[in-house]
Order: sequence, then structure tokens, then C-alpha cells
Amino acid sequence: MPPLRVSRLSKRYRTRDGGSLEAVSDVSFDVSAGECFGLLGPNGAGKSTTIHCITGFYPPTSGEVLLGGLDVHREPKRARRILGVCAQDETLDSDFRAFDQLVRYATFFRVPVKEGERRARALLERFGLAEKSAEQVEALSGGMKRRLQVARALISQPTVLVLDEPTTGLDPEVRRVLWQILMEERGKGAAILLCTHYMDEAERLCDRVGIIAKGRILDVDSPQALILRHMGTAEVEEEVRPGAIWRRPPNLEDVYLKLTGTRLHGAGESQ
Amino acid sequence: MSVLDSLWGVRCVWLRYFDVFRKSIRYYLVTSFTEPILYLLSFGLGVGALVGNMEVHGMQVSYRSFVFAGIIGQTVLFQGFYEASFGAFVRMYYQKIFSSMAVTPITLSEVLWGELLWDASKAAVAAEAVTLIGVAMGDFRPLALLSVPPVAFLSSLLFAAFGLAVAARARSIEEISYPQYLVVFPMFLFCGVFYPIESLPGWLQGVAWALPLTSVVSIVRTLTLGFPFEPLAAPILAAWLLVLVAFSRRAMSGRLVK
Repeated sequence: MPPLRVSRLSKRYRTRDGGSLEAVSDVSFDVSAGECFGLLGPNGAGKSTTIHCITGFYPPTSGEVLLGGLDVHREPKRARRILGVCAQDETLDSDFRAFDQLVRYATFFRVPVKEGERRARALLERFGLAEKSAEQVEALSGGMKRRLQVARALISQPTVLVLDEPTTGLDPEVRRVLWQILMEERGKGAAILLCTHYMDEAERLCDRVGIIAKGRILDVDSPQALILRHMGTAEVEEEVRPGAIWRRPPNLEDVYLKLTGTRLHGAGESQ
Repeated sequence: MSVLDSLWGVRCVWLRYFDVFRKSIRYYLVTSFTEPILYLLSFGLGVGALVGNMEVHGMQVSYRSFVFAGIIGQTVLFQGFYEASFGAFVRMYYQKIFSSMAVTPITLSEVLWGELLWDASKAAVAAEAVTLIGVAMGDFRPLALLSVPPVAFLSSLLFAAFGLAVAARARSIEEISYPQYLVVFPMFLFCGVFYPIESLPGWLQGVAWALPLTSVVSIVRTLTLGFPFEPLAAPILAAWLLVLVAFSRRAMSGRLVK
């Protein structure tokens, strides 16, 4: 059994006008230990709803999510002991300083305070935030907050890590630091689910990628296999500015555009 | 999911609030205790000196003692409501604390219980401070120090539940002002905090008794001043408590979870 199994997950919302909207429809995928699985899709594709169902925050309309073999909706407290989450929004607890925040969060996973303090020190060091450990969240820059939020997701030493756009708004240098840390976690055996808008990030980090649009997964495979399957090997012509045409090998963004018809952001662009 | 496991989750949330309180204790002491103490001084000593003694339910009592007991009711109302309405709205909407805790081994239900119990604890401690002043000044029976806290805690839980329900329904933080001015302030002014509700017209007495603060103030005056026990007060309070706690938790879950 893989650490994360999403099986025939569907989620239907009631809309304000009394109707209903199927945000996620029959989505299935596994994430194995030591694997990074990317979920790519435009805004409104169903990525965040899928994540809310995986974390057990939203109940699914049908289907199931198993964390370490446990149904997260039937046994949320036991299942979520192995889960680390970095939400898309900033959800840091602004009533605490950086260090205290990690220690407090660790107690939610029954990590003893002394051990929580040891882990918090190590994580702040690892994320380049050691000098900011006594700072209030409000005093941190956007990039630091993002790093702290990823650090907080790791405080319980999770075996399943769910990251929703963890590098949005980070400068390229910090983004690479974060990539390095995620690869280290994958190397330790964590199953990572990564939602991202950045194609280069997905190509670089993910062993497999699922492309989702309108609540459905359109295809799943390794980035290379997806590129080969949907784009072949022929070079792609791209008009980068009027009159200037570049020829380059096909990439994941081309696959994405072909499957969804929606343009995503490239490296370094803001959302 | 065992009951002990759930209690552990609620305790975690409560301790998170206590930790914040402990780290900012000066701020909380000022904001929690200043208001009731100012009311005590202003109405108890100021207006009390003007009014002197009065007869209520056939008992002679000083206005100062009468209003001191009323201010315990005012304290649980204001502290319970404000912490759970404005405070919870900030925690839910801006800080996103509820949703960040509820993806750990703590469930949303436990998060909401922790929120309500913390709000009630904090308000009950402020009410106990007022009781202590009343006892120290010879206005209350000493036994009130033991008998008031459970009532103050349950009453605070009731008003905190009302505040949480308001936070769950408010689309913006400004919208919390509607129930503040249309429900909380009228309760404060018409539920017997400053004068016996028997002095109100009959129809308004009926309205006042339908509101929970009248029952709170009535029970507190029984415990602190030995006023006759009003048999309807406890069931009214219990009914409001059950309805508001259930409704607030449902409303907040509905707001957060699709």
C-alpha cells in the first residue's frame, strides 16, 4: 500500500444559487514512498479541492483517500499523524514567533516539547531562518514566511507531504534551496504531492505528473513520457516576440497546453 | 476515535490560546480587567453613592452591591461575545488558524470546542476577578468565590457560542457590529445589570426574560447577594446554551468546510 492513495475521489459543492458544481470528478492516483507526484492545472481545475479532501478537511462526495492505509475521513486523527501540509494560503500562526510556532505545531502531532524544540532549531537552520527564530511572523518577508510554512509542514517528520504551490513568490535562489530540501525529503522516503503552476519546477522535481482540468485528471506519467506521448520528439517553434521565432525541444508546458488549452506561468513569473 | 483522544485535541487547542495569553499577559490583563473594574468604580461607587440602599424582592440591598453582581453578568457577556466574535473572525478569516490546525491530528470539531472553552475560560476568570473585588469590599458572600465560577463559565460559554455563530455568519468583520448593537448592547441595558427588571413595563420584562443575560444576572444575584432563586432562570440558560453551542459549531463548520 503506498503512503498516499486517492481512489475515485469526487467532490460536489452546493452553489449559492442552489445548484451544484462538481469540482473534482473520479480522480485516482497513488504516491509511493520516495516519489514526488506533481498535480498541474490552472486555477479552478480542482487541485485545491483535491488537496482539501486529501487532508481530510473536506469530506469527499464519493471515493476515498488513504494515508498510510487509513481512510483520512473515517480516522482523521490517526491518518493525519503521517501528514505534513503546506497550504496555498499563508496559514502561519501570527500570534507566535517563528521558533515557538514550530514547537507549538509539533505538539499537535504529540511530539514532546524538548524534541519539538530540537527539530525546530534544526529546521530553522536548514531553511536559512535560524537568525529569524525570535521574530514574529509579521516581521518576516514573504519568502521567509513561505519557507517557514514549509518548515512547519516538516516538523512532524511526515511520510506524506502535501505542498500546494510552495514556491510561489520565492526568488530563484530561495526556490532552489527549497527544491533541494524537497529532494532530500524524497530521498528519505517521503511521498510528496506537489501542486504547482511552474512547469520547470514540475519537470525538475516530479517523478510523475498528473494534469488536471475541470476536476478530471487528463493524463498521468513521468514528465518525459508525457512529452514523448503528446508532443513527440520534433522541435517546437515558438514566437517569443513579433518576428522572433525560437525552435526548442518540446517541454511539459507544451503538453499542458495541448491537453488543457490553458497557459500556465513560466519560471520566475508571478501568478 | 476515542473520547480521550478528542479531549487531548481540545486540550491542545486550549493550550495554544493559553500560550498566546501567557506571552501577552500584560495586554490581556489590561483589556480583560480594565472594563469591568471601571464599571465597578463608576456605577458601584459613583451611582451607588447617589442611590444608597434599595429594596429588591423584599430585601434591602445597597445599589453598589446590586450593580456589582450585575457587572459579573456584563463581564461574561462582553468578554465571551467579543473574544469569540471579533477574535474568532480574525483567527478564522485572517490568520486561518482553524484550517491550519484542522489538517493535523486535531479535528475541526476539537478546534471549535477548544476555541469556545478558551473564550469561556478567559471570560470566567475576568468574572471571578469582579467577584473577588465584591467579596473583598464586603458586598458579596465569601462563598460566592466558589459558587460563581461554574455559572460564569457556562454563561461565558453561551455568549462565546453566540459570538462564534456571529463570526461564522459575518461576511466581513464590520458585520459583527450589527449583532453587537442590536443584541449585545440591548441585553446589557435591559437585562437587569443596572436596575431590577421589575421596573420595566410588563411586555419589556417578558422580552428581557427571553434573553439569556437576565437569567445569568438573576442566578449571580442569588449566589452573591442571596436573592430568591428564580426557577425559570436555569432552564432558560440551559436551553440557550445548548442551542447556541450546537448552532455556532454547525455554522462555523459550514463556513469552513465545503
